[in-house]
Amino acid sequence: MNIRCAAPEDLMNMQHCNLLCLPENYQMKYYFYHGLSWPQLSYVAEDEGGKIVGYVLAKMEEDPEDSVPHGHITSLAVKRSHRRLGLAQKLMDQASRAMVECFNAQYVSLHVRKSNRAALHLYTETLKFSISEIEPKYYADGEDAYAMRRILSEFREKAPITEEVSPQKAIEASA
Amino acid sequence: MPTSNPLPPKENALFKRILKCYEQKQYKNGLKFAKQILSNPKFSEHGETLAMKGLTLNCLGRKEEAYDYVRRGLRNDLKSHVCWHVYGLLQRSDRKYEEAIKCYRNALKWDKDNLQILRDLSLLQVQMRDLEGYRDTRYQLLVLRPGQRASWIGYAMAYHLLKDYSMALRILEEFRKTQSQPKSHDYEHSELLLYQNMVMRDAGMNQEALQQLDHYDLQIVDRLSVSETTAEIQLELGRKMEASSIYRDLINRNPENWAYYRGYERSMALEDPDERLKFYKEISEQFPRATTPRRLPLTFTTGDTFRTEVDRFLQNALRKGVPPLFVVLRPLYTDLDKVKIIEDLALGYVDCLKDTGRFDKEGSGDAEPATALLWVYYYLAHHFDQKRQLQRAMEFVDLGLEHTPLLIELYVLKAKIYKHGGDVDEAVRLMDEAQSLDTADRYINSKCAKYMLRANLLQEACDMCSKFTREGVSAVESLNEMQCMWFQTESVAAYQRMNKFGDALKKCHEVDRHFTEIIEDQFDFHTYCMRKMTLRAYVSLLRLEDKLRSHNFYFKAAKMAIQIYLHLHDHPLADSEQDSNLDTENLSPAELKKMKRKQRKAQKKAEVEQQKQKAEMERREQNKNKAADSELDGPKEEELVPDKLARTEEPLEQAIKFLRPLQVLAAENVETHTQAYDIYSRKGKLLLMLQSIKRGFAACPTDPKLHTCLVHFHMFVKSQGDLPTPVRTVIGNEMSKIYDGKDPKTLNDDFLRQHSNSLEHILAGGSMMYKLDPKSQERAVSMVTNLSDKLQGRSIENVTSVYRSLCDGSFGECDKTIEEYQKQCHDLFPHAHAFALPACNTKTSAEGVVLTNGSLS
Repeated sequence: MNIRCAAPEDLMNMQHCNLLCLPENYQMKYYFYHGLSWPQLSYVAEDEGGKIVGYVLAKMEEDPEDSVPHGHITSLAVKRSHRRLGLAQKLMDQASRAMVECFNAQYVSLHVRKSNRAALHLYTETLKFSISEIEPKYYADGEDAYAMRRILSEFREKAPITEEVSPQKAIEASA
Repeated sequence: MPTSNPLPPKENALFKRILKCYEQKQYKNGLKFAKQILSNPKFSEHGETLAMKGLTLNCLGRKEEAYDYVRRGLRNDLKSHVCWHVYGLLQRSDRKYEEAIKCYRNALKWDKDNLQILRDLSLLQVQMRDLEGYRDTRYQLLVLRPGQRASWIGYAMAYHLLKDYSMALRILEEFRKTQSQPKSHDYEHSELLLYQNMVMRDAGMNQEALQQLDHYDLQIVDRLSVSETTAEIQLELGRKMEASSIYRDLINRNPENWAYYRGYERSMALEDPDERLKFYKEISEQFPRATTPRRLPLTFTTGDTFRTEVDRFLQNALRKGVPPLFVVLRPLYTDLDKVKIIEDLALGYVDCLKDTGRFDKEGSGDAEPATALLWVYYYLAHHFDQKRQLQRAMEFVDLGLEHTPLLIELYVLKAKIYKHGGDVDEAVRLMDEAQSLDTADRYINSKCAKYMLRANLLQEACDMCSKFTREGVSAVESLNEMQCMWFQTESVAAYQRMNKFGDALKKCHEVDRHFTEIIEDQFDFHTYCMRKMTLRAYVSLLRLEDKLRSHNFYFKAAKMAIQIYLHLHDHPLADSEQDSNLDTENLSPAELKKMKRKQRKAQKKAEVEQQKQKAEMERREQNKNKAADSELDGPKEEELVPDKLARTEEPLEQAIKFLRPLQVLAAENVETHTQAYDIYSRKGKLLLMLQSIKRGFAACPTDPKLHTCLVHFHMFVKSQGDLPTPVRTVIGNEMSKIYDGKDPKTLNDDFLRQHSNSLEHILAGGSMMYKLDPKSQERAVSMVTNLSDKLQGRSIENVTSVYRSLCDGSFGECDKTIEEYQKQCHDLFPHAHAFALPACNTKTSAEGVVLTNGSLS
């Protein structure tokens, strides 16, 4: 699968992929808001026919409470039919690097449903996130969220992204 | 103040408070202050107050009163810029942009330097792509506020959009000079520089663009854009060494990006497959976890090299257990030699794994994991499904299920195989089972709902989707709110199959409205992006919006809408008729009874659903009233009522509305023009019919549907008798280019001869043969009912089209043949419902039982 930075014309297809895969959905305008505020941060994975099979929709936190510039993952999805290709990790790595380069991000944060064990596993084991706090009743249906963070120091050096671990059984999941 | 009716200080203060309340969305308070002014008999007709009262009422959703007040205000004070501005804002809120622009212009007549009005006008102009007007307004804004960044950017942008690049660049450069030394890591400054660079590249100024990037390198934070752009320019300038080294760096940065490999290969002029392979191997060693450098060589290698490479690729993935292995390799399936190699290898793995537990006969090295065999089965099932050898596909999927009975992927695949076999009901059953094994996965849930829609199970599909949509709102409504277009286009198709034309049209219009909405979404970004300086993305957005309806979702919805409107034109609904009435003539009494029972059931369900929806609407209406002070988004749209839509007075005009965007944005698709032909031929518009076949011919001269249009047009022109000379000349000229002097019969004979091997073409040619000469019935029928396995396109879909054409009288009376043909098709596609024989009903269901146990007889 081809992994590249998302352009405005990808946003509708990202919305389609999101509606197929995840319970948290957004109208197009919210995708535009991401794509036009931080055009460097969202990435897509597409197949040979140009169909989006996975994406990461990312932003910078606009007024960070801790006044430390940091990125935030609004949504990350890989179609079930394309799991275990390592796409989630590859998408996240590209987005993280762009956050550091363009916006000087120190860390990246995200929310995950407490019950979503597969996603939790992906974030902690494969993507090196750790739980920073629990946000009670974060989701519309009343479920709690884990707020998670990953420090982006490894992307600070200009070195290319190298492969440190090779988690063979990286099960991809979605936010 | 240009108003003819100034207020004394006390009232003037009140008026100012009305304005403030409007800005702060305190509409109720605004009305209070308006009342205080208007209740004084001296000012009861004060224009600007009346206008503001109207505008405030509009925000509370009281549209009619709003117009009354605003118009009355304007009448009382025609020289007030406030009244005109307010009228403009009101029209704008109703999306009457042309009208609003006129109002703003009138307002500016009375207050030509009013910044707010100029800004509002400029927004409407860029939204409507009145680029000249936009440029002039931006000029005025620049003159009035030269100190503001947005003034300069907006003015430059206007020239960029008008493609006057040198002027745009001059303005940008002037502006840049006024900027103080940027801070370190200044994102906005960096974006400005890259925007400047974009304009240079649009202007074809590659050399300058390259220098600019080099000169400002340290100030640009978007390193990826710098590298990608530099590499592209270097390549275009023929500086291959420079380009290749940047592409090499880009590959290091992201080894999964195909474009970087293409760029590298082009810059190094790599053509020899061995050299190419060597390069990919290097990368692969450097990035063992990257798929791309291992996958791309499978496309350009052939023969034994391909065999070695694909062998390695397959083993690797099967060992690790990568379910999407097939979708990764599917693009190779256009090459039959490669398909054969893959098949041999995979079948070989099955034998070896069973014998030695390894992928090869020698059985050297460690034993493979037990799951390897499972993934080989899974792969082979996909493989044979792709080749439409469904029986073999089923064998392997069942072997997989024996191995690991609860693997969801196998159920999904099995469902797909049944779908390809034409048995949607069994496909739904299996998908539902897959879904029940992992109810937390929305992807499986969506797929299941999609299959249900394919089986016309609308209610079931909604229930399925509702597991992931907002509680308290029906799934249909929630999905519409979220602009979920796959669900809507699939619903249209289902309703269309069930002859529920009103419901289908409702969904088509909903999809169309999403596109309108997405075009409206631009509005906020005109100002926002200038503030954020994300100008490159902004320009891409404008370009995207200009062709938004070229998206496949629109094409699908529009195509079905047009088909339905054409049907409604040909068969308008009678007054008493429910639009779901099916063609009952051809049904046996038993079938009729069954159908009626089904209909009653469906109706009951629908009633319950309607009740629910009504209750919900009422609840929402109440909520709305509670939150009445909140701003309303856009005009309230007319409710889409299925029955009203299906009973339109002007189906062809409605069809044309859906057609127009296709003609502009999907002109390369021949279907656009054959649909246009179908509409215009019903209107008898000779020249538009000609235009349609001309464009269709340019898009795809051999298209079967176009061929029928060509034959029809020729006959139609002849039937028109004497035409006015100019028309006759135009038609004669154009036809000679397309028809090459052939009469319809010759045209048709030649067409059949040229495409004698394609079922789709034979059907088109055969039906025209019968139409041109009913005496040729026997020949035409025998031609189209040929089911030889040498025919191209002998798919369930195409064979079903033949069957339908025989049934709908396109070949005259031919009952005997139909029966025989149905039987042959049934033998060929034993699971396809389309050919299930009523007499063999029991047999089919018995078979179904066997099937669920896994053997495809």
